[in-house]
Amino acid sequence: MNYTHFPVLSVMGLFLGGFLVEIFGSKNKTVRNIIVMLFTTVSACLMLYLTIPVFGRGEVISYWMGNWEPVGGHAIGIGYEIDGLNMFFVILVVLTYWLSAVYSIKYMEKDRHLGHYYTLFLMLAGSVLGLVCTGDIFNLYVMVEIMTFAAVALTAFRNKKGSNLEAAFKYLVIGSVGSGFTLTGITLLYMQFHTLNMAQLASLVSGNMTPVSVLALSFMFIGFGVKSFIVPFHTPAADAYMSAPTSISMVFSGMVNKAGVYGMIRLLYMVFRVIDKSAIQIVVVVFGAVTMFIGVTMALAQHDFKRLLAFHSISQIGYVITAIGLCSLMGMTSGLFHAMNHTLFKGLLFLCAGAVLYATGTTDLDKLGGLSKKMPKTTICFLIGAFSISGLPPFNGFASKWMIYQAVYEKAVVTGNFFYTFVTVTAVVVSVMTLASFIKVTQAVFFGQAPKNLANTKEVPFSMRLPMWIMSALCLFGGVFYRLIGRYLLIPAGQAAFNITNYIDAMLGESTAVSASVTNVSMDLADGFSYWNPIVWLVIFITVLIAVCLVLIMGSGSRGKVLESGKDAAEDGKYSTFFSGEKSEYSHVAGSDLFWGFKHNWRKYFGIMQSVHSGNINDYSLMTVICSALIVIVFTVIFI
Amino acid sequence: MIFNYITSVILIVLGLYTVCAKRNLIKIVLGLGITDYGINLLIVSIGYNNGGTAPIYAADLFNIGGTAAFVDPIPQALTLTSIVIGACVDAMALSLVIMINKRYKSIDANEIRRLKG
Repeated sequence: MNYTHFPVLSVMGLFLGGFLVEIFGSKNKTVRNIIVMLFTTVSACLMLYLTIPVFGRGEVISYWMGNWEPVGGHAIGIGYEIDGLNMFFVILVVLTYWLSAVYSIKYMEKDRHLGHYYTLFLMLAGSVLGLVCTGDIFNLYVMVEIMTFAAVALTAFRNKKGSNLEAAFKYLVIGSVGSGFTLTGITLLYMQFHTLNMAQLASLVSGNMTPVSVLALSFMFIGFGVKSFIVPFHTPAADAYMSAPTSISMVFSGMVNKAGVYGMIRLLYMVFRVIDKSAIQIVVVVFGAVTMFIGVTMALAQHDFKRLLAFHSISQIGYVITAIGLCSLMGMTSGLFHAMNHTLFKGLLFLCAGAVLYATGTTDLDKLGGLSKKMPKTTICFLIGAFSISGLPPFNGFASKWMIYQAVYEKAVVTGNFFYTFVTVTAVVVSVMTLASFIKVTQAVFFGQAPKNLANTKEVPFSMRLPMWIMSALCLFGGVFYRLIGRYLLIPAGQAAFNITNYIDAMLGESTAVSASVTNVSMDLADGFSYWNPIVWLVIFITVLIAVCLVLIMGSGSRGKVLESGKDAAEDGKYSTFFSGEKSEYSHVAGSDLFWGFKHNWRKYFGIMQSVHSGNINDYSLMTVICSALIVIVFTVIFI
Repeated sequence: MIFNYITSVILIVLGLYTVCAKRNLIKIVLGLGITDYGINLLIVSIGYNNGGTAPIYAADLFNIGGTAAFVDPIPQALTLTSIVIGACVDAMALSLVIMINKRYKSIDANEIRRLKG
């Protein structure tokens, strides 16, 4: 069987399905669901079949559109190429859109104009799949634009609510500025090297950083930074994830920002091959660390379920960016593992938020409560997702976060740079804050007392629970059988990211890379996938235990005092000593009440953050442009 | 030739300035458009050869940087794609502005900020 046609068939199939569903399915519900499920399932199966040659036999699949093969090592046509790294992202993408399609059937049934919805949905799926398959940099840009276009339209899909339109507009403006930077970078590359093929660019640019190349690199870094929502560019992400229908929020966090991460990896490791410069590593790791910290602290201050998850999504992408910036095989595998786990657990959490919205009609943390009795199955799924994202064993988030700590700390030991030690501590602290934030959500939504208007809440239907169960099972699977995943998925994918000569040779013919004197990116650390050491684990647990005891001992004296000074204590039962002596019958501790002491102590920081996230599109664009200028300056200083 | 590059940079910067400084949403969309035009001008300019003819056949198309007598056709194809994408984005942005105006009764960026913090 000639499987080299499969990538292009899958991508075109999804686009074709998008048009067919509009023509035949806009009136009839059954036809629409059949078309959507048929095209998503077939394309997912075709792509998953490619795991056999790519991971099983170590092949690199290359395909030239219209059979325009390279002439004399000069690429003419548009090429698709799938190596281990592409295949890894392809698996994430097909998993996400297939589960989201299943979930959409029931979740979206009350909306109107579902033909449009599925057209945009399939366009989004096809564009992200095309983005991670393509070997042509302009094709990559076109796919990025289709992706942004479909994502913006889907954000505004429920346009009865003004804030959804607002979120879409902000996403469109910031996204277009980012795409513009990407296109300018591509133009500057074409100007010098007269090719758009990524493999050929890699063979030409390698070790040839002219000032124009530096500008191109910084512009494309900004472009993919905007697409993966790293911190100065993260502002539209929170709005868009919150406003989009939940099945789409899951797609955003599952594959749209992973597409940005993929672009970043290809850019830094292959096209420009600059990641082995230590200054570039530090720049990328700084972006990752700042992203994870600001994301999680912003999440602590949120009152809306989906907006909170959106900020966590930004924070988790920070982990991935930190890990891929290390330029070690361990860093790469742990980053990819975390990207995969993030797709699973964040998708699961968004689906739970969607189930809550479907059942109760709100995602406001202060209006929810006590749903665990009404929706026990959703609660279990949510707890699995929350444990995974907080990094509790034996769930997958623990395995990948532990590997990231190890990778960053190993980097600190190898380079002797104190900065990486600091980043390790930041990563651990961010994980703790993630746990704190999810305790708040669990308490506010699922436990505690249910408000009276939620008395008739029912569990969501089976077709919505099915994707949730699949993702929960995969979360548990990833945490228990991480060695298996490491051996068959992460190590081949991670090595493929470093093995750029193989990529170039597969695309342009044997020994192209040698004649262009391209070498593979050298890995600082040889061992790819070391595992958590039980003794270190024990030490961490004892440390945490001591910390908890210290907090308890030190806190016991001041507990009464704080509560007396709280002026609300007398009026409202919920501020008096937890539940005893309450005056009112209904005394639910709402989401914003937990951790108010922490927030009070950090009020200056939160004040600054509130004023930065002002909601004004001019401020956001100004922030984007200023940070872009800074990135250009930093990269220029590094290379020249 | 250098004039083209300078103009394109001026257009891009002007567009970004409009996006950052103007509070009217329609002006922000126009700013995005101006940025696009600047980039399009840049792309067309890089394919231009002084005194070059139309690329009818591709005999010395790959004779780069020297005496190629043809204008490079690829940037023109790229520009067409870019123009189409830009037009779609502008159209969608404007339709969003219409809808925002219906819901908020305003197109002032300072008032379109229900999502913040």
